Amino acid sequence: MMARITRIATLAFGAMAALMLAGCGERPQVIDYKQGTYQGKPDDLPYAAAPFNGDKDKWERDIRNRTQNQNEYKRIGS
Amino acid sequence: MLLTRKSDAARVAGPRLKRTAGARLSTMDRRTFLKRSGVAAGAGAFASQLPYGMIGPAVAAKEGEATNIVKARTICTHCSVGCAVDATVENGVWTRQEPVFESPINLGAHCAKGASVREHGHGEHRLKTPMKLVNGKWQRLSWEQALNEVGDKLMALRKEAGPDAVFWVGSSKHNNEQAYLMRKFVSFWGTNNTDHQARICHSTTVAGVANTWGYGAMTNSYNDMQNTKCALYIGSNAAEAHPVSMLHMLHAKETGAKMIVVDPRFTRTAAKADEFVRIRSGTDIPFLFGVLYHIFKNGWEDQKYIDDRVYGMDKVKADVMAKWTPDKVEEVCGVPEAQVFKVAEMMAKNRPSTIVWCMGQTQHTIGNAIVRASCILQLALGNIGVSGGGANIFRGHDNVQGATDIGPNPDSLPGYYGLATGSWRFWAGVWGVDYEWIKKQYAEGMMEKPGMTVSRWIDGVMYPNDVLDQGPNLRAMVYWGHAPNSQTRGTDMLEAMKKLDLMVVIDPYPSATAAMCAMVRKDGVYLLPAATQFETSGSVTASNRSIQWREKVIEPLFESKPDHTLMVAFAKKFGFDKELTKNYEMIKDKGGWDEPTPESILKEINKGTWTIGYTGQSPERLKLHMKNMSTFDVKTLRARGGPCDGDYFGLPWPCYGTAEMKHPGSPNLYDTSKKMMDGGGCFRANFGVEREGVSLLAADGSHPKGSDLTTGYPEFDHVLLKKLGWWDELTEAEKKAAEGKNWKTDSSGGIIRVAMQVHGCNPFGNAKARAIVWNFPDGIPQHREPLYSPRPDMVAKYPTSDDKKAFWRLPTQYKSIQDKNVTEKVAEKFPLVLTSGRLVEYEGGGDETRSNPWLAELQQENFIEINPKDSNDRGIVDGEYVWVLSPTGAKITVKAQVTDRVGAGTTFIPFHFAGWWEGKDMLEYYPKGAAPVVRGEAVNTATTYGYDSVTMMQESKTTLCQVAKKA
Amino acid sequence: MARMKFLCDAERCIECNGCVTACKQEHDIPWGVNRRRVVTINDGVPGEKSVSVACMHCSDAPCMAVCPVDCFYKTQEGVVLHDKDLCIGSATAFYACPFGAPQFPQAGAFGVRGKMDKCTFCAGGPEKDNSAAEFTKYGRNRLAEGKLPACAEMCATKALLGGDGDTIADIYRQRVTVRGKGSEVWGWGTAYGRPDAPKPVPGAKS
Repeated sequence: MMARITRIATLAFGAMAALMLAGCGERPQVIDYKQGTYQGKPDDLPYAAAPFNGDKDKWERDIRNRTQNQNEYKRIGS
Repeated sequence: MLLTRKSDAARVAGPRLKRTAGARLSTMDRRTFLKRSGVAAGAGAFASQLPYGMIGPAVAAKEGEATNIVKARTICTHCSVGCAVDATVENGVWTRQEPVFESPINLGAHCAKGASVREHGHGEHRLKTPMKLVNGKWQRLSWEQALNEVGDKLMALRKEAGPDAVFWVGSSKHNNEQAYLMRKFVSFWGTNNTDHQARICHSTTVAGVANTWGYGAMTNSYNDMQNTKCALYIGSNAAEAHPVSMLHMLHAKETGAKMIVVDPRFTRTAAKADEFVRIRSGTDIPFLFGVLYHIFKNGWEDQKYIDDRVYGMDKVKADVMAKWTPDKVEEVCGVPEAQVFKVAEMMAKNRPSTIVWCMGQTQHTIGNAIVRASCILQLALGNIGVSGGGANIFRGHDNVQGATDIGPNPDSLPGYYGLATGSWRFWAGVWGVDYEWIKKQYAEGMMEKPGMTVSRWIDGVMYPNDVLDQGPNLRAMVYWGHAPNSQTRGTDMLEAMKKLDLMVVIDPYPSATAAMCAMVRKDGVYLLPAATQFETSGSVTASNRSIQWREKVIEPLFESKPDHTLMVAFAKKFGFDKELTKNYEMIKDKGGWDEPTPESILKEINKGTWTIGYTGQSPERLKLHMKNMSTFDVKTLRARGGPCDGDYFGLPWPCYGTAEMKHPGSPNLYDTSKKMMDGGGCFRANFGVEREGVSLLAADGSHPKGSDLTTGYPEFDHVLLKKLGWWDELTEAEKKAAEGKNWKTDSSGGIIRVAMQVHGCNPFGNAKARAIVWNFPDGIPQHREPLYSPRPDMVAKYPTSDDKKAFWRLPTQYKSIQDKNVTEKVAEKFPLVLTSGRLVEYEGGGDETRSNPWLAELQQENFIEINPKDSNDRGIVDGEYVWVLSPTGAKITVKAQVTDRVGAGTTFIPFHFAGWWEGKDMLEYYPKGAAPVVRGEAVNTATTYGYDSVTMMQESKTTLCQVAKKA
Repeated sequence: MARMKFLCDAERCIECNGCVTACKQEHDIPWGVNRRRVVTINDGVPGEKSVSVACMHCSDAPCMAVCPVDCFYKTQEGVVLHDKDLCIGSATAFYACPFGAPQFPQAGAFGVRGKMDKCTFCAGGPEKDNSAAEFTKYGRNRLAEGKLPACAEMCATKALLGGDGDTIADIYRQRVTVRGKGSEVWGWGTAYGRPDAPKPVPGAKS
């Protein structure tokens, strides 16, 4: 019973907090901290934007090809 | 400044990627695109340059966004390797640099300097406006004022004292067109008192090597070192001075080549060596001839090669076997027999083997002899004219090769033509000016007399007038792209600066010259801002003689002007601008100044420089090479297929004949295994046909492949052509031009065409290399101790030469100084050898690179490398500041770096620092905002007198010092 | 594709600092922050070796483990990045990292005060790719352009390899095979126990 009330209270509080802050576009002051996981902003995938536009395979192929520029054997032979 | 630039970049950064991809094809405006292509190769050729994956859909620029994105391909300006850089410029701001993987020379690699050239687009510590020293303070003035005041003062001095009263120091950092124009400019001013950094760098190499076999340049290339089986580095710290060359060497090493490093220091290059030999500074000849001794003793010499192609080796052998036995070798240079033998065996049994040298060999009073000893070694082994062999001379500054070839040399017109009447008439013809008019510009009898050298200008100022071999003393100096702290005897230089009527510095940076002058003068100094090579276009010659074309990256920063524009401006002031620019295409730059296009200047160079084959490298051919770099094979430098099929990259000189003849360039000099039109060659017939009954021409059967003449022959002229019955193969027009001329003065190129293209012969003849250069002070190289030698006992056995009364217009001392040092026991009071050299982070005098924060952060204090034994003897602890005392009385303060890198008895200080004087920071003497980030003592404040007996090269590699704890 | 990795071939590194200035140049890094450095052992004596060191983008990154505000994350390619907006500059990562990768600028770090900065494998950070914000805070995002880290691409002797770990390993393996040595620096002798490898001394590094 107490646990349930606590839970409702927590939820209500959380909801209120979100409501209060929603209008300002601010991040919640009290972060819902999950230990051991990344708390920051999301990052784009490197192949998301042009010129790859989401084509992961193309990006990987290009990167692998480009790595060979660091291998002079490719151009010199032996 | 930085913030503004960044926000500019930020503004375009939004959809930057999208637009960048498209921009290369669509948003680049038409004018820039066409300027870039040069040839109508067009978008197809260009698209092939894009890195993988970047060819995307063309996207129109967004409305209201910044639009102008331009790409420019340029070459790093910091050393002679010639690494290509792709620059991105957005709205006129240099925002990005990318490696050029396609370049066959550097394959995208850079050292610290090349990876940070973009800083030139910031230039926060640049000299931004013309300045004048007024009552000890730097004041800004307008260009108009500056040109008028400086011009008037120089003209007045010329009227009063003659044109030889002014010394015009040119630059190895000028591009080819500017360096060439400089030589023309000073000729019209009327003096041979001009010079550039080659004097203090490889002047001894050029003289010694050219006099051995014909040309004084690197015979093979950095790339060709991949083909070597054994490389001997003697007096070269390539890992710091030519880092990207190590890409080729380490690749060679990986595939089995051996590497030997000979140096007084265990350098970073030595760290990669299979065999490290520590020698006493200045004792290269005993070592090299010690090696040669073992080669002769074991019969490892290539006798057939010697019989066919070398004169005088028998006499050299006799000299070497008698003088350089193992005990004598060890006594002088300190290397034990076993190690000398090991080196000899490695070089002999792993052929083709190559030799690499730099300042360690050149900067001595016997530099001209030392380099010849290296040549003789290679001739004995039959390594010259062979891929993987050669004398791989690594030049210093980015265009010291070009400046040496066609630039402001005191003893020659462009192309090593010399200063004889015939040469003057020839160049007057090329320039389209009246020979008599040029002659009138000169003081009586001075036109054909070599001028003074940059290494001795101070004596031209300070010596009493009656000992000079010219009319006036030097009264004014124009330091046009040269640093002062790379020359020895800094304390004497300060005195000379006091005495000058006028000092003019034309440079992107004020340089230490400004600070030194402001420290001791109140006025009479002008600073004029020049633009860097990123702010103009033009060609540059790498050490391997390949010529590359730089595109302009950005407009000149602040109020700076490109050097060739300034030359025209001064020429206007002096009244010879019409003569100077006669054959050029003139345009108006963004500031409304008259500028000759670099392309038109190169075309004039192409018309006149027959001797070293700077004739085939037209702007069109060079630009085509820059666009198609990936088609060139990295090992051979030859293009296989593609628009440049058959050419060698950069058309390495000699690229004989006119561009129409399409000579491919010469990747390895003197290579008889190739046809002339395939880049082959042989030794030059420059020293006569016969000497003491022995023929100087090559033996029968030794000739470039496929040559119609299979014997030796002298250089081609109209007489020889007629004798051979080939005269009628010339066209009528060619006959008219070639009548009475030789291959160097025939303006049609017909003699070359018939001799080379038709008959496969070398226009410059087919002769033997000289192991004995009889016109030099020592025909066979002899070891002579440095003037400031640490070993009086060796001085007694191997003394220096006699004093000279008039040498490059100045009395020059040798014996008198060395003897004085012995009697005054200088070696006891100053028992440590002081040598100097390079750091990878900096270049030359250093003010430019020490103004780049990204580089400066890496080396913030000047230091002295001192062996633990010597430091402990003096109670010196690693990291503390010490005094370095010179026999001249000068003293400098540097940080002690206690290390085993140097042997006991030797110390080392890098020469790139300036901006402190005997303990005092000179910051207040620089114009505000234009001092380098890092300043330190210049090692040359504490160096001493000593000059090469042929070229007046300074002896900076071996002098003496004492090191003392700061009380 | 494998994770992104760096490998510095100590047989080739000549301590030219090209990688160091390439990084500074590419990201406009202020004085005092050195994402990449060259470390030399046995300086000045035979046996001198240099390696270029920056963030190793560890698979099990200590920095990520210890950060009190959990501002670290790892991309799909194995690049370890962090959010400077969250970073409080505690320098716990600095303490934990065995390679000295975390850097702390004197004042401002790409516009933000005192935050930890480190090598990003030229992959930018948690801002929109190639935006001004990303460049100001984290530097260039070369991966998003299909390029590789500037340091590796500009290395003077191609000692520093950076990119797809699989390809890097191939390149390095080819070199080691051709020259017959160099791998001992990285402990191949211990790991693979080659028949001709010297016997490992207990307690000593291979």
